[in-house]
Amino acid sequence: MSALRSLKILELAEGVAGEYCGKLLSDFGADVIKIEKPGEGSPTRRLGPFGPRGDAPETSGLFAYLNTNKSSVELDVTSKAGAAALLKLLPHVDAVIDDHPPGWLREIGLNPEKLEDKYPGLIVCSITAYGQDAPEDSQHAEDINVMHASGWGFHTPSGADNARAPLNGPGRFLPSYEGGLEGALCVAASLYEKLESKRGRFIEVSKQAALTSRCDYVVGQMIAGDMDVSQDRRAFDLFGPAGIFHTRDGFVYIFMSAPAHWQGLRQLLGDPEWMQAFPEDWLEKQCTPQRVALVREMLAGWLKDKAKDDVAEAAQKLGVTLVAVNTAKDMLASTQFTFREFFASIAHPVMGEARYPTVPYKMSATPAKLERPAPLLGQHTDGVLAAREP
Amino acid sequence: MTKASRGGPLQGVRVVEITKVWAGPYAGKLLGYLGAEAIRVESMGSLDVTRTYGVEDINNAPGFMAVNPQKLSVQIDMKTEKGLALLLDLIRQADIVIENLRPGAMERLGLGYEQVKQAKSDIIYVSMSMFGNRGPLAYQTGYAPCFAALGGLSALVGYEGEPPTGMNIRYADSTFGALSAYAAVVALLHRRRTGEGQHIDVSAVECMTSMIGDAVMDFMLNGVERLCDGNRHAEMSPHGIYPCQGGDWISIAAANDESWRALAEEMGQGALARDERFATLTARKANEDELDRLVAGWSATRNAEALSKALQKRGVAAGKSQNSIDLIADQRLWSRGLFQDVDDGQGGSRPVIGPSWRMSRGASLERGAPRLGEHNAYIFGEVLGLSEAAQRELADAGAIR
Repeated sequence: MSALRSLKILELAEGVAGEYCGKLLSDFGADVIKIEKPGEGSPTRRLGPFGPRGDAPETSGLFAYLNTNKSSVELDVTSKAGAAALLKLLPHVDAVIDDHPPGWLREIGLNPEKLEDKYPGLIVCSITAYGQDAPEDSQHAEDINVMHASGWGFHTPSGADNARAPLNGPGRFLPSYEGGLEGALCVAASLYEKLESKRGRFIEVSKQAALTSRCDYVVGQMIAGDMDVSQDRRAFDLFGPAGIFHTRDGFVYIFMSAPAHWQGLRQLLGDPEWMQAFPEDWLEKQCTPQRVALVREMLAGWLKDKAKDDVAEAAQKLGVTLVAVNTAKDMLASTQFTFREFFASIAHPVMGEARYPTVPYKMSATPAKLERPAPLLGQHTDGVLAAREP
Repeated sequence: MTKASRGGPLQGVRVVEITKVWAGPYAGKLLGYLGAEAIRVESMGSLDVTRTYGVEDINNAPGFMAVNPQKLSVQIDMKTEKGLALLLDLIRQADIVIENLRPGAMERLGLGYEQVKQAKSDIIYVSMSMFGNRGPLAYQTGYAPCFAALGGLSALVGYEGEPPTGMNIRYADSTFGALSAYAAVVALLHRRRTGEGQHIDVSAVECMTSMIGDAVMDFMLNGVERLCDGNRHAEMSPHGIYPCQGGDWISIAAANDESWRALAEEMGQGALARDERFATLTARKANEDELDRLVAGWSATRNAEALSKALQKRGVAAGKSQNSIDLIADQRLWSRGLFQDVDDGQGGSRPVIGPSWRMSRGASLERGAPRLGEHNAYIFGEVLGLSEAAQRELADAGAIR
């Protein structure tokens, strides 16, 4: 039995943040009912990647990934009838997840300040770009804006070239995934407490705050005055020869900071003369730009005709933290991902069968499980709404 | 200082951390911020590197203080037999154990899940490692940027048509910690309903892949291996980071035609929005290099903050790309308590990173990170009920301080 079975969650969210939050709960067996606009459904249904049949309805890979194990109910909660139906549903659910802009919950009758009086047992979680109290000049945001408000954007990539624009980080939605994760953590903790207290709670997550807090090791030192702040694009960086290098079949990443790494690397490269000329503790104590440049140049030359997985294996056995820079294809072929059964096959009625990423935690008693594909639009409307009629 | 005093949904939950550096401590921190009592087990013989890195005073180490506010610290030497027994006694009084040592290290210490389960049958035991505790590559180790490389993130970050650069080198540990904390809370809930504890084995690499699930789906559905695309977005244009005065940058995203028209108006070039090269998303994507040049040429002479305000007024998603000065001055973060002052335990106050969330009946955040062994008396005396004589005996044996 999965851990969250029989808990009922209403998902009003229409973005990646709220849908990922719902997914984290539904993959543990929570009964997540997704409320969607009649006829059109969640906007994520119209975002790629699309399956081989193009962008016909019910072919969004984004929606399919974010909505496994959920039910779909078509209901316009902004209409009078829809709002009434929503109010009827609320007493039957444990939690509500939303990711509309600030103020939207109030508009549909879920005023955060009055929640406790009206629905004392209801957990409501709002995930927004800058929080419910975002100032006037922060009302409009896509994930790229949040990424660059958080500190991560300006400081990516490491070792930045000031003449070129900072980068947006991996994929389109990192701030939304992080915000959704933070929301799910708070909702799960609140559900845990509610089992005994029977009390609900209003939770509001700021995607910007969630992302910035992910750099607490650095930013925490900065706000305390222990680390310098500046306009420097490299202010978050660590120094040394770490980086990405070409191999004949892709790229590898190497990290080095300790004498043991250097010892391992000398063995890996056969201890050529140029390495013998380096002081043992140069990484920690004598890490000059000249030495870094030389190591990078020699490493690049040595790695370029190697195969990434082979060289990673040899390096790891010598204590060198060198790994392959994996693509999706590499991960699917990885013996470790396979051993942990990270990818699971799911048959979708329109998109067919495909392998999906699952969850990063193996749980001995309550494994998360992708049991059902994402719902078709309105697939569960009749069942869910009828079940609530007196 | 008792475990029921700060409120929050996890009030009354006790977490024992056998963690190092960042990812494990971050997981403990989140549980603490939700109200749990998080205890770091430490000893002089195996100090966390963040207590010693670049500083003399292990009780005022900036890195350690940044990640461990509100925690308790107890000194127990796990390498002595008596210390180990004492630690198991502490675990008997706990709900969650978090460890992020190398796979196999806890077993060798006599603290593996099966061993701990003997002492406390319903314990929730969280193992955090790069690739998971078992499997053909479980022996491999690495640091945060290695997780990002193996998990598929690094390959997606870079300038268009160039080799990947990867995300900033600091990314990965905390996200790994957050997913671990989430799984631990789900296990707590299960235990409250059934009485059953469990082992949770978290892979840092898979945590990374979870953050790009939709990009991975592209390969699963179409066999397409994504390449670096700079700051591009398939469904928005313009979408990028553009130069401003004084070395600053601004992020701008036009989510639809209306937003693009508003941007063109602000540029003083309303006609551009009707230009057939840019009138629709399809056209803008086809002419994106030219479009980006036009936007960048216009933004380069503007002030980033003023420009962001002007665009926001027109309903366009925009914001300054914040450097570290901007970040620590950001009122959006101070006003919601992400940055807040707490008691530094030395008669003063100190700013720390608080929780990213706000919640009704949340846990209070009261103090900074603990000095080494600061809570020995509380843990040994109140939690474990050891007499002073018993404590002295253990100290003489080297098991505690």
